Amino acid sequence: MNIRERRIDKVRAVLLLILGVILVAPLFLMFASSLKDDRYQILAELGSFRAFIVTNPELSNYVEILGKKSIFPMGRFFVNSVIILSGSVVGTIAVSSMAGFALLRGKFKVNKWMIFVIVALYIIPLESIMLPMMFEAVKLRLLDTYLIQILPFIASPLFIFLFYQFFKMVPESIAEAASIEGASFWKIYRSIYFPLNVPAIVTVAILQGMDMWNQYLWPLLVTQTDRVRPMTVAIANFFGQDEIYWDKAFAGSVLMMIPVLAFYLFFQRYFLSSVASSAVKE
Amino acid sequence: MSRSFEYAVQHHRLSHWHTQDGRQELLMMLPALLLLITFTIVPFIMSVPLSVTNQRLLPGPIPAKFIGARNFIRILSHEDFWQAFWNVLRFTLMVIPVQCGFALLMANFLNRQNKLKGFLRGLFFLPFITPMVIVTVIWATILQFPTGVLNSVLGWITFGWFQAVDWLGNPRTSMLGIVLLSAWQAFGFQMIIYLAGLQNIPLELYEAAEVDGASGWQKFWRVTWPGLLHTNIFVLMITTIQALKLFTQVNILTHGGPRGTTNTLVHYIYEAGFIAQNIGYASASSILLLVLVSMVVAIQRTILKRFET
Repeated sequence: MNIRERRIDKVRAVLLLILGVILVAPLFLMFASSLKDDRYQILAELGSFRAFIVTNPELSNYVEILGKKSIFPMGRFFVNSVIILSGSVVGTIAVSSMAGFALLRGKFKVNKWMIFVIVALYIIPLESIMLPMMFEAVKLRLLDTYLIQILPFIASPLFIFLFYQFFKMVPESIAEAASIEGASFWKIYRSIYFPLNVPAIVTVAILQGMDMWNQYLWPLLVTQTDRVRPMTVAIANFFGQDEIYWDKAFAGSVLMMIPVLAFYLFFQRYFLSSVASSAVKE
Repeated sequence: MSRSFEYAVQHHRLSHWHTQDGRQELLMMLPALLLLITFTIVPFIMSVPLSVTNQRLLPGPIPAKFIGARNFIRILSHEDFWQAFWNVLRFTLMVIPVQCGFALLMANFLNRQNKLKGFLRGLFFLPFITPMVIVTVIWATILQFPTGVLNSVLGWITFGWFQAVDWLGNPRTSMLGIVLLSAWQAFGFQMIIYLAGLQNIPLELYEAAEVDGASGWQKFWRVTWPGLLHTNIFVLMITTIQALKLFTQVNILTHGGPRGTTNTLVHYIYEAGFIAQNIGYASASSILLLVLVSMVVAIQRTILKRFET
């Protein structure tokens, strides 16, 4: 790189940095507003730069939404979201990786057709079967439970196929050797294929985790009480009120954003590669 | 897909190492199989018989009746359905140039960048990890009338010439508002895909173009653009399918209004099935949505196959 090119690179870095700050400004708006005590103040300051800054930060909104007797029990919703996310991420990794392995290394002739079926199923969007699914949930008496928010997502055609693809890259000779040593089918999966594919597990955890944390339409259909309702539906409910409590809505949003940001800061590289691989794997 | 399929078939003939005990294999398949049957295949098959009845969500005293193709006829002659259909199309046609264009531009800048490249990429990706529900809260205030951030900024940079617009309340701008916030949220995804695509273009092509004295624009249109063919097809397809599923933003911010200008197909299904509790009618609409999604996938597959051979 010559001097001229290096200078261009520096100038471009500064310009892109300014653009980047403008692009994430809406997130600053959220943080700033959540620290303002008065919702009328938030509305009044929206039209000026004061929307992005706080002069005297207060945590009263957080105290209120996390309080035991709050009318917006965000702590409850947060815990619900965490339960649904953990259940479905752990479930997905276990169920989808086992299925992917059995499809790849199993002996049944039917398996090669299963791969076809699995990829075909991937095309069906949840949105086009959600009402028969809800009808089913009513019949199975699963409405308003954690289970109905977890179970439908853990046998995901996408992730079964993703594990299948990752497992395919493990040299078969390793498994053959283990098999000669007398390792069972399950043992080969459990002690070789599964632990060797940490990148696949991380990818699935990130993609499924983001998906579940953002899940809105399905919980909107199948939850009826605060007991099992996730944060997404709870935050959306602020809009149903006669008057929107912006201060509480922003505090709730920040609460929901914190775990995402924390994970992103630590695992940024994996977030980016997971998202890219989800596209390449199509 | 077909290549990995053939690979799987081949491997079947080659592998002899597994234990002959098929029980473990079956047990490992079982959870996935049961769940897929219960939560994808059964609802999928159920939607067909449901679509030809007048089934309600909570069965009433009168059992549901077979009503033939009446649901489909009613949907296809329902003005609101066609409005939702055109809205989705309108959204797609607006969001693709805005979102993908911006993503491609950013990817191009970042691809050449040395200093701070990783940091900038991470920064630009932040909106994509923001849950859509939070995006709607933030943008509801940004698009506020008359003193939201967007109206104020547009006012400043035009020295007061710009008249404040009720972005989400005005039938003429409501969809544009939805497009803006959706594009802001998702452009980072396309940017990452484009960055991967750009890295696959051989550097020699650029060097050769430079030797021939090509300008920046010429390099883009003669080398970069053709090199991104596959990426573009993929991005186009995924954006179209995402648009067909548009729901959250619209449901929270506008409920499909004003005057149905932001109604979408999924919102139409939601209102028929969940609000009006008419499962039969909603199932029929769902089948139409699935037909549309399958058509997009089929078109993409055909195009890709043509370019591969």
